[in-house]
Amino acid sequence: MTLPLHCQKSGIGFTGCAWLHRNVLGIQKELSYQRCFIGPRFSSTKRHPAFLSLLAISSTDHPILLRCDRVGNKQSKMSQYTIGDSNTNCLNTMNSYNTSNVWNNCTVAEDLSPLLTWLSPLDPGLRHSDIQERRVNNVGEWLMGTKEFSRWSGLSEGGKGDEVVLFYYRNPSVGKTFIR
Amino acid sequence: MLTCCDDSSLVVDRLADQNRGQNTSVICFYFDFAARNEQTATSMLGSLLKQVISGMERVPENISRSLQAVSGKPQLGDIVRMLQLITSSQPTFMVIDALDECIPVQRFRLFDSLKEIVDKSPDARIFVTGRPHIRAEIEWSLAGRMISVSVVPPRDDIVRFLRVRLSEDETPDAMDESLEADILEKIPGSMPEMCVVAMVLGIQSYFTG
Repeated sequence: MTLPLHCQKSGIGFTGCAWLHRNVLGIQKELSYQRCFIGPRFSSTKRHPAFLSLLAISSTDHPILLRCDRVGNKQSKMSQYTIGDSNTNCLNTMNSYNTSNVWNNCTVAEDLSPLLTWLSPLDPGLRHSDIQERRVNNVGEWLMGTKEFSRWSGLSEGGKGDEVVLFYYRNPSVGKTFIR
Repeated sequence: MLTCCDDSSLVVDRLADQNRGQNTSVICFYFDFAARNEQTATSMLGSLLKQVISGMERVPENISRSLQAVSGKPQLGDIVRMLQLITSSQPTFMVIDALDECIPVQRFRLFDSLKEIVDKSPDARIFVTGRPHIRAEIEWSLAGRMISVSVVPPRDDIVRFLRVRLSEDETPDAMDESLEADILEKIPGSMPEMCVVAMVLGIQSYFTG
């Protein structure tokens, strides 16, 4: 039986991500979760308000939803909810969480985030964060100054042009395999 | 490296900055040949849908219902329909990096799907990087609604990039002022291919053999 573990937070930054990895992956280990990933983290930089969700597939028989209210500081607080069988309470013995409630199954449908996991296992946000970290400041800015970019993105006076796709390519003799 | 994915990520951030607070979505995907078997049209568009929904403060009822109606493995058609619903109601920028690294059969499925999306969404825009051979494919699939830009990094960008990377050199003993000056003079003035090869091989080893 595969079930969702869900944790979400708005406005999370790097510290919050690290905190989640440390704490929630700890839970993962304790409950013998088979698979766990964090996503989408693409907007979770310090510059962007973020929505971060953490999802895991449980190998236990107990669906669990964790809601993270504040993370990454001394006031960190994670509410935990065991859905379904109120006798299960499989996380109630963990000291790192302040509150524990039992939800019934109908509330799961109200929260779409667990469902999003099923849409795709891929998380380009992680790749984006990695590239963002190692990018050299002010390199590549020229692209945003081209008239093609302005027209495509709607920055030019006439608003967006009719062109839907802006295709950006390198010299044919430059192998992309090489430039990795 | 000065790579296309750096540029793609910069475009993502810049578009997000420019459109902050304007009910506009900026979503991205990075193709990688090493992950070609997992990166299908369905999983790629599914991840775009996931991003755009995750970024919403309130998910519209029709999307919420469609999402909950998905049972089993999501089908490409389900995902495309949901993306159509969203992108037709709000401006959306999709940034797709290294599209040429998607295997052809999936790439053509993706083109068909993207066409279905943009046909219904006048405010959807797609930024694509890749090798030039897919240019004709995009033009054919999207009936000429494309502009293209050939990239040659400006000299200033190359110099700025080289200075940063040289300052991070893990073997500073192998570097001296003369070698550094040589690198900063010759690489930016060379053919772009030479810059790239030099960066791949390691700046010093390229010059010292």
